[in-house]
Amino acid sequence: MSMFQDIERVLISEAKIQARIVELADELNALYDDADLPVLVCILKGAFVFLADLTRHLDFRHEVDFMEISSYGAGTTSTGVVRILLDLASNIEGRQVVIVEDIVDTGHTLDYILRSFTARNPAGLRVVTLLDKPSRRAIDVPVDIVGFEIPNEFVMGYGLDYSEQYRNVPYIGVLKPEVYREGLGIS
Amino acid sequence: MTNPLPDSVDYVLLDEASIQRRVMEMAAEISADYEGIHNEDFLLVGVLKGSFIFLADLARRLTVPHRVDFIALSSYADKAEATGAVRLIMDTRADVAGRHLLIVEDILDTGYTLRYLYRLFEAREPASLRTAVLLSKPDRHKVDVSLHYLGFSIPDVWVVGYGLDFADRFRTLPYIAALKPRVYEG
Repeated sequence: MSMFQDIERVLISEAKIQARIVELADELNALYDDADLPVLVCILKGAFVFLADLTRHLDFRHEVDFMEISSYGAGTTSTGVVRILLDLASNIEGRQVVIVEDIVDTGHTLDYILRSFTARNPAGLRVVTLLDKPSRRAIDVPVDIVGFEIPNEFVMGYGLDYSEQYRNVPYIGVLKPEVYREGLGIS
Repeated sequence: MTNPLPDSVDYVLLDEASIQRRVMEMAAEISADYEGIHNEDFLLVGVLKGSFIFLADLARRLTVPHRVDFIALSSYADKAEATGAVRLIMDTRADVAGRHLLIVEDILDTGYTLRYLYRLFEAREPASLRTAVLLSKPDRHKVDVSLHYLGFSIPDVWVVGYGLDFADRFRTLPYIAALKPRVYEG
């Protein structure tokens, strides 16, 4: 079975992603220096590939931390309330914090994380995301640095999954519609 | 973009190109061994925080379908060095029973952490249990643990970069460097 049989086409190639990440890192390099010692917070699982590539281009001192969250299931998507499975190892009070996301979709999850972090009184809080789907936004969230704005298509790869598959594909691809229709029980 | 070596770094032990070449070789070996296993049945478990860069690079070079999961551990502040006691902070999300499990670790030092993970996962009856470790320090091993895929054997020096840190610093250097002794000797 091919790993790539469910992929309709490449939306963003590996070369384009890597070139853009250098630019995103330079934006961060202009914003922070060693004295700021920001904490880059990776939202698992999706953002770990982006974090791994992005941080290797940073030229200021920084720390990385991880957070893993899970939704409570049906009925909670409109509130964005999530369960924190893994909280930050570090105390962010008085720290500069950069949230690293793979994708901002409706914005509910990010909004919840931002509220949770704001309550911890960081000195500064920014959001960098590789992908942004503005057409899906249901709530206004501040996103400071965006890699690519993309249309409302079912994307996977570079950390993003479809039903836990394809996270390791090195580019961003579009899933064949029949695959997720099948998964959703739509014929 | 090439940044100057940080002050605290003594010398580069493994440069970026050597690491990438070795990760690609490991991925080819793993892909050959796990060929034919269904996506749902092959699980890579990355041990946080140290393994995230290795995992991101290794997984992207695998040609076999798999899932990715994470586990977070912490050592107890006191006596950890002597006893190897480990605290589980976050467990895997996936049920590992009946699955082929590959633990992905940045470094094998004393071996206590890997031994803990072996015991934890063996009790859950996976179909198979192997480890992929980027670095091993044979001089530091205190317990015997099986290693299936190893990147590099290195001498007993304090290394940072490519996921490895010193007090949360230097973790994201794209190469692996030896720290100047004055840094960790205080």
